[in-house]
Amino acid sequence: MPITLEKLSHTYQEGSPFQATALHDINLTIQDGELLALIGHTGSGKSTLAQHLNGLLKPTAGRVLLDGQDINQKDADRRALRFRVGLVFQYPEHQLFEETVRKDIGFGPRNMGLSEQEVEQRVHEAMDKTGLVYDEVGEKSPFELSGGQMRRVALAGVLAMKPDILVLDEPTAGLDPRARDFLLSDIARLHREGTTVVMISHSMDDVARLATRVAVLEKGRLVMEGPPGDIFTQVDRLTAMGLDVPQASKLRHELEAEGIVLPPCYLLDDLADHLAHRLKGGAADAT
Amino acid sequence: MTQPHLSLQNVTYTYEENGPEAVSDFSLDVGRGEFVALLGHNGSGKSTVAKLLNGLYTPTGGNVLVAGMDTQDSQYTWEIRKRCGMVFQNPDNQIVATVVREDVAFGLENLGVPSEDMPAIIDRALSAVNMADFADRAPHMLSGGQKQRIAIAGILAMQPEIIVLDEATAMLDPSGREEVLETALRLNREQGITVVWITHFMEEAARSSRVAVMYKGKLVMDGTPREVFSQVDLVREYRLDVPPMTRLAHMLRERGLDVRPDALTIPEMRQEVKRLAHHA
Repeated sequence: MPITLEKLSHTYQEGSPFQATALHDINLTIQDGELLALIGHTGSGKSTLAQHLNGLLKPTAGRVLLDGQDINQKDADRRALRFRVGLVFQYPEHQLFEETVRKDIGFGPRNMGLSEQEVEQRVHEAMDKTGLVYDEVGEKSPFELSGGQMRRVALAGVLAMKPDILVLDEPTAGLDPRARDFLLSDIARLHREGTTVVMISHSMDDVARLATRVAVLEKGRLVMEGPPGDIFTQVDRLTAMGLDVPQASKLRHELEAEGIVLPPCYLLDDLADHLAHRLKGGAADAT
Repeated sequence: MTQPHLSLQNVTYTYEENGPEAVSDFSLDVGRGEFVALLGHNGSGKSTVAKLLNGLYTPTGGNVLVAGMDTQDSQYTWEIRKRCGMVFQNPDNQIVATVVREDVAFGLENLGVPSEDMPAIIDRALSAVNMADFADRAPHMLSGGQKQRIAIAGILAMQPEIIVLDEATAMLDPSGREEVLETALRLNREQGITVVWITHFMEEAARSSRVAVMYKGKLVMDGTPREVFSQVDLVREYRLDVPPMTRLAHMLRERGLDVRPDALTIPEMRQEVKRLAHHA
């Protein structure tokens, strides 16, 4: 069920003195089963793009196609669309509101008109997927939980609607390293089990770890797109856009400038392997 | 004997009577001019400590002294707030005025500074955070990093001795984070302001002069970034991580390379690799 953005543009407050073009002529297809990371400077249009994926925003030009159907057509079932494309906003825990974790996660499925039994079933499944233990936290107030757990409750609330595509806007912002690690593992597992994921992130090390493809936005335009290996080796270009690169890419790049050339890589594990090979190999040559 | 600038002495804090201790028998002295990074998992009590430092909270047990003044003594409340400024996480919750200059003036008005003295103070504060060109702009048009620097300028205008930044970079993008951290480091270096920098970013902590780690309300580690982060397993046990370059050093040592285990930054690691390559 791919989503295609076709010549998509979005202009805020069109025709007013405050008119601002946030997205300009974007062509991008999100393929089934991929984990696409969307990166770019603040204000580059990432969040605006994400809000087009489930019809929260309508393009001012161009189309959004889901299974080849224009989602903004008059007769499109926008309600069903919201269940198929689950959007997790930044700091989603700010939107928790129910008395118990169980009720909060069940809110979406209940809204879909499912029976209480089905809702319960979905709540259990969603909690399993996000590493929340039903018997421990199900009856607790979401506000009694730690920041990391609250974030997972918010994610579970979206997963309970069983979306085919999950869109995450800065999922790890503000979490401590352990909570961040857990959440990234949850996302990796969801992806492995078949959910298509679109993830917006400023953390290039998170992107390097998870993404199967990276799209780079700059000032509302799609300027780079490809597998992480192709993107993160272009250190100078990303840096010129004011973006970070994974730490491994950065060190590899600096070493290259010093005449120590290593095979392309963007993950610390791979860099460690290359360095070990190079530095030990070098020692063997010398003797 | 020099007095510590900030002194937490066996501090305990509970949000509700007989409730769980958010901060538990916590003792820490911070010297004048230090730049201390305070780390800890979500819910470890870091933000509670921050609020104890300028008397927003007063301890349930123990004492908090700011420049020798006890926060429980209400006669010092305003003096403490003036000397110890706070910057919080969300840049949008800290701006009160519609023009940058007026936002910086807000604290001064509360202190009763004569209005003819204000422009010079405001200009100096904005220059110190490299925002002088934005004095007449609308704060809501600025980036997150710029808003946080305006918040810092508002504190600087009151000529504080101490600034506590409670995850001031958590909601910013990488360039905004760098702007704010660089500003805090510079104010510490050039004006001798004592800084308490609370963060979840280990690479930020690596650039401080001292790292204190909290776990479940208690102080569990305290030392230079090198001392703390070279204890990789212990740091992880406290639900934190080490900076990426320290992690790489660890991986290289596991692969049998004689890399220093306490490398913290990319330049340090580059030096190490060059040294080994030269050797080889």
